[in-house]
Amino acid sequence: MKTAHNIHKSKKLIKVSLEYDEHSNTINSITITGDFFLYPEEGLDKLEASLIGTKLGKDTIKQKIEKSLNDSEAFGFDSESMTDAILGCFKGEKD
Amino acid sequence: MSFKFSKIRTLETGYNSGPWNMALDEVLMNSVNYYSMPILRIYGWQPPAVSIGYFQSMDEEVDTKRCRQMGIDVVRRITGGGAVLHESELTYSFITNVYPKNIMESYNLICDIVIMCVNKLGFNAKFAPLNDIIVDGKKVSGNAQTRKKDTLLHHGTILLNVNVEKMFSVLKVPSEKVKDKMINDVKGRVMGLNKPFEQLAYNLKESFTEKFGAEIIVDSLTIEEEENTKKLAKEKYTSDQWNRKK
Repeated sequence: MKTAHNIHKSKKLIKVSLEYDEHSNTINSITITGDFFLYPEEGLDKLEASLIGTKLGKDTIKQKIEKSLNDSEAFGFDSESMTDAILGCFKGEKD
Repeated sequence: MSFKFSKIRTLETGYNSGPWNMALDEVLMNSVNYYSMPILRIYGWQPPAVSIGYFQSMDEEVDTKRCRQMGIDVVRRITGGGAVLHESELTYSFITNVYPKNIMESYNLICDIVIMCVNKLGFNAKFAPLNDIIVDGKKVSGNAQTRKKDTLLHHGTILLNVNVEKMFSVLKVPSEKVKDKMINDVKGRVMGLNKPFEQLAYNLKESFTEKFGAEIIVDSLTIEEEENTKKLAKEKYTSDQWNRKK
């Protein structure tokens, strides 16, 4: 089990802390913080929960984010920038 | 769609602690349903307080030890956005269950009233979506909203004076090396209006009256609202369970 962190500047700041399994290349836990807005606010808990067990790949993560935020409205980030924020934890180590 | 109210219940609740202020905003979201009118609340902060956005982490954003030493409260909001040092400002809340369902439109509607208020002082304020109001390119007001059970809470600040050095002494920065640059950057982007609280409070009430064609009904908190606020401040807004949720 390894941990990784990233601070990503989109329209607002996104901070990501995650724990991942380097063998299965999947997310074990993730915390996303920042000065963005999301309506309803509970959408972030739903997003974090949906990412657990997800493979650390751009397409899989972006799809999960899009699906999870389907009923929410975000200001300060979108699925693309949130994906970049998460994968930025690895700074080029993962695709 | 045009929004008109015949009356606005107006509460000027004075200067209070961070937890009490945030608790009252939440309590008023419940009590607005007992009145057939929205609520405008105008208030300040004593002692000064740092509030963080709903999605922020207290430990990541705020030097809480330094806040304690300086007598500054810390509290997490129920609204998103960034960390704010509340000291020399006028803070307002508008609580209503009649509002535009489109989020951008609801920010626009209420920020427009704040712009009217600021421009009565001779400034040329403009809306900078989603949540800021600027004068000459500098932020003079920040705003945030939440919606719970069909009720909208919009709260925001009008900056009277800004002490950027003090703000950065209690907010965490990535490294000391970038601190001076960040201070200069914020000084270039934020400004206080340097006007009296009372004058802005008067202008704000007048602007709400003009915007909505509403009569201002000056009111005070009910005993139940006061008691619920004290309870919520103690049990929620001073608790680590809430303030350190992230």
